[in-house]
Amino acid sequence: MLFSRRLMLGLTMAGALAFPALAGEGPSEIDLFFPVPVDGKLARDMGTMIREFNETHPGIKATAVYTGSYDETLIKTRAAIKAGKPPAAVIMSANFLLDMQIENELTNLDALIAADGTTKAQFLGQFFPALHGNAVINRSVYGVPFHNSTPLLYINAEHAKEAGLDPDKPPQTWAEVTDWAKKLTKRDGDKVTRWGIAIPCAYDYCGWMMETLTMSNGGRYYNEEFGGEVFYDTPSMLGALTWWSDLIAKHKVHAPGATPGPAVSTSFISGNASMMMLSTGSLTYVRDNAKFPYKVAFIPRNVRNAVPIGGASLIIPAGLEADKQKAAWTLIKWMTSPEKSGWWSRATGYFAPNMAAYKTPEMVEFLAKNPDAKTAVDQLEVAKPWFATYKTVPVRKTLEDEVMLVLNGKKQPKDALVAAQKAADELLRPYNAETALKLP
Amino acid sequence: MRSTLQRDEMSLAEPTRLAVTTSAPPRLNVLQRFGSGFKASLPAWLLLLPSLVFLALFTYGAMGRVFVDALYARSTPKAPLRFVGLDNINAVLADPAFAGAVINNLIYAVGTAIPSIALALVFALALSRTNAVTSALRAALFMPVLIPMVAASALFLFIFLPNVGLLDHYIGRLLPVLPNWLGDPDIALSAIMVITIWKNAGYYMLFFLAGLQAVPEDVTEAAHLDGAGPWQRFRHIILPELKPTFLFVIVIATLNAVTQVDHVFVMTKGGPSNATNLVLFYVYQQAVEHYDIGKASAATLLTLAALMALTALSFRSLANREGGP
Repeated sequence: MLFSRRLMLGLTMAGALAFPALAGEGPSEIDLFFPVPVDGKLARDMGTMIREFNETHPGIKATAVYTGSYDETLIKTRAAIKAGKPPAAVIMSANFLLDMQIENELTNLDALIAADGTTKAQFLGQFFPALHGNAVINRSVYGVPFHNSTPLLYINAEHAKEAGLDPDKPPQTWAEVTDWAKKLTKRDGDKVTRWGIAIPCAYDYCGWMMETLTMSNGGRYYNEEFGGEVFYDTPSMLGALTWWSDLIAKHKVHAPGATPGPAVSTSFISGNASMMMLSTGSLTYVRDNAKFPYKVAFIPRNVRNAVPIGGASLIIPAGLEADKQKAAWTLIKWMTSPEKSGWWSRATGYFAPNMAAYKTPEMVEFLAKNPDAKTAVDQLEVAKPWFATYKTVPVRKTLEDEVMLVLNGKKQPKDALVAAQKAADELLRPYNAETALKLP
Repeated sequence: MRSTLQRDEMSLAEPTRLAVTTSAPPRLNVLQRFGSGFKASLPAWLLLLPSLVFLALFTYGAMGRVFVDALYARSTPKAPLRFVGLDNINAVLADPAFAGAVINNLIYAVGTAIPSIALALVFALALSRTNAVTSALRAALFMPVLIPMVAASALFLFIFLPNVGLLDHYIGRLLPVLPNWLGDPDIALSAIMVITIWKNAGYYMLFFLAGLQAVPEDVTEAAHLDGAGPWQRFRHIILPELKPTFLFVIVIATLNAVTQVDHVFVMTKGGPSNATNLVLFYVYQQAVEHYDIGKASAATLLTLAALMALTALSFRSLANREGGP
């Protein structure tokens, strides 16, 4: 019922889209589907941005359509494509692009880039190199990075000082984090009254954190060049999961069970957890709500410093008329320009993907005032793409379900990863049969 | 009795329930009248026409589409859709996640229906007389029904927050280890069930209140004069009189257990480790996350078949009990 109601909503919306197209004359009317992944204020900021675009571009009338979470945005976009009236542009979770490309739901942007007289290298060169991986599929550009994030280590500076630790020298390795967490955990007999560290685990966040820990343990989550392989049953991921499980079961400095992102940030804000690993997207929220001094630092390493990116890209769905495609491309280029990119970053807490945004005077001033916003940008040096495979979400879920069992003490890390690998391979089989295993 | 029930149903049911709960009795009537000649039933058809049009468009049309979609699948991502017959249904039945969802849903249905119906009956018995106090209490108990499930889930999300939530704030002092209410696969389903009971008990109370009105006063009085105590009156007069109400509420509660997954969607997304995955959420996962419309349709068909069988069975026993029209 839920699904069909959603589908109906999508169809109704698609129907509504059909009518402006009949108007014919006048500016080309386009729709931008946008999700609000963090909080409600973003919807208002998006309204401001689109109004400014329409004022400066009389030939185009863009309408921003709020479409819920990242997942719901994907559902509604797909419903609109099926109904034959896709929106002109969508802000899409960066790791859904591969899945959509496999389903032939994306417009290849190479031709639009070439029509502007630029090369792909020049066009992509505007953006941080770490973001290219999720925008380029088989050497063609399918997305333009819009707002992005990396995970960070947040530290309650007050608690650190109390425990005799120097918050200006944050822990850099897993050994140091374990040590800090032990010193920061407060116990009343057997009962823990304050946790040393919190790492989120709910569907979506859990997979991202596993990628983070695996990468800083020297490993890879998936094959960045090919959507048919994930590397769950590997020493680097085994080490990552075992450490996470040890923080709970062996060192008892991390609350047991799976804790979703909002619960982790609330726990940190209320002083119930002294450190947390969370997205840079939460930085504005922490800045506005923490009643104590805090520090942000790179995600600590066991083997090397490395983190995945997160966030969203702008895409153009397949099946649009040429004039709408052109109008959408104008909108996308405008939204990802240095000035707009910087403005959106300051409003949301995500970092601006366009490198030139950090040279604008407003951004220089903002970073001088909020040096913590700079840590995420600095960490981009060691960032890599976000996992994206054939059927990204179910493939990710096979791992998350097993990780949740481990965090609840119901399964050993090795058994969990073997089971996750088996389930993921099964899901990826049809894609591999059509690509890597399709032989002449 | 029947008319009371139907009136309650019409005025109180929420739109989602309306389609399911009211479609059956009118249909029975239509079928029976059809036998006595089309001409005589023409006014009925005309009266039903508007709702039949909408049912055809948004309910039966969609069901037909689901039926067709369930028969098609793609073998590889780029392969064309082809007719596969019952393969999708077999794939769903062989999927351990579906079996898990069915088991969860059975536990959830029994574990929410029995406590919420029992609570509803207790509430109704306690508040059966109408005065200012009971009216206020009835309104208070009915309150959760008025709160949309999504809003209630967001509220409970805060109540269940580990360590810092409202629940842990109060009982945290008593327990040696604070449970991770929604993050522990052993507890999460029970936590979800508590919300459903909290939300539905007040709703079912209304049906029992209506049912109690229909208990003949003279019989109760006669029993009273014959020296029957409160328990005897309850056991031998009130309970038998409430039987149709029970049947009806059990059907509604079971339908709710299958068709309402808003809280699962908001609070757990079926997790941790599929511990709160219910059948309808499984359908959503197949359709949206796996993007496998064939399997999603097959699972929907199986659910629909089970629900229709259940509804038909219970309305038949309801009709039997009343000896037909």
